[in-house]
Amino acid sequence: MGAVTYPNEKVVKFVDYNFVPVQIEVSNTALMNQFKVTWTPTIIVLDADGNEVYRVVGFLPPEEFIPTFMVAKGKWYFNADQHPEAQGMFDEALRDYPDSAAAPEAVFFLGVSRYKMSHDPKPLRESFDTLTAKFPGSEWTKRAAPYRLIPA
Amino acid sequence: MALNICWLGDLAKAKASAGQTKKPVLLDFFNPK
Repeated sequence: MGAVTYPNEKVVKFVDYNFVPVQIEVSNTALMNQFKVTWTPTIIVLDADGNEVYRVVGFLPPEEFIPTFMVAKGKWYFNADQHPEAQGMFDEALRDYPDSAAAPEAVFFLGVSRYKMSHDPKPLRESFDTLTAKFPGSEWTKRAAPYRLIPA
Repeated sequence: MALNICWLGDLAKAKASAGQTKKPVLLDFFNPK
C-alpha cells in the first residue's frame, strides 16, 4: 500500500478529507493482538470510541481503495444513524466507481439506508433488482435475496 | 504526495482527533520491511 496506493494523489486527498489516519507497525503486538490482526496490510475503520466499523485485509489499488473506504465511511454514518450522510457516501461510491468491487455492498447499504429513512421497503426491493441485474454473482446479491419478496 | 499520517502508533491520540474532527479512524496495520 505504501508503494502504490498511498502515494496516489486522489487517495491522499480522499483520506485527508474523510479520515484520521494512524499507522501501526506489526511490531506493536499489543494492538495487533487487541484487534486480532494476523496479516498485513490490514486496515480497520473505527469510530471515536474504538468500535470497529469496517475491515479490509490485503492490498487495494487506488481505484479500489477509494470506493471501498467510501463504503466504510458510509457504514460509519449508518452505524451512527446518520442515514442521509450514509446515503450520500453510497451514492458517491456508485456514481464515481460504478464497477468497483465495493459497488455491490454500496448498492445493498444504499437500499438499507433509504429504508431506514423512509420505512418504505421499496428501496430494499430496488437494491435487490439492481444487484441482480448488475452483480448477479455477488455475495451482496445473495444477502439481498429476501427482498425479492417485497412488491416492486 | 504521501499520506499525512496523523498519529504513527498512537491510537489514543487518533481516537481523540476523531472525536474532535467528527471523522472515523483509519487504522492501518503495516509491515515496514
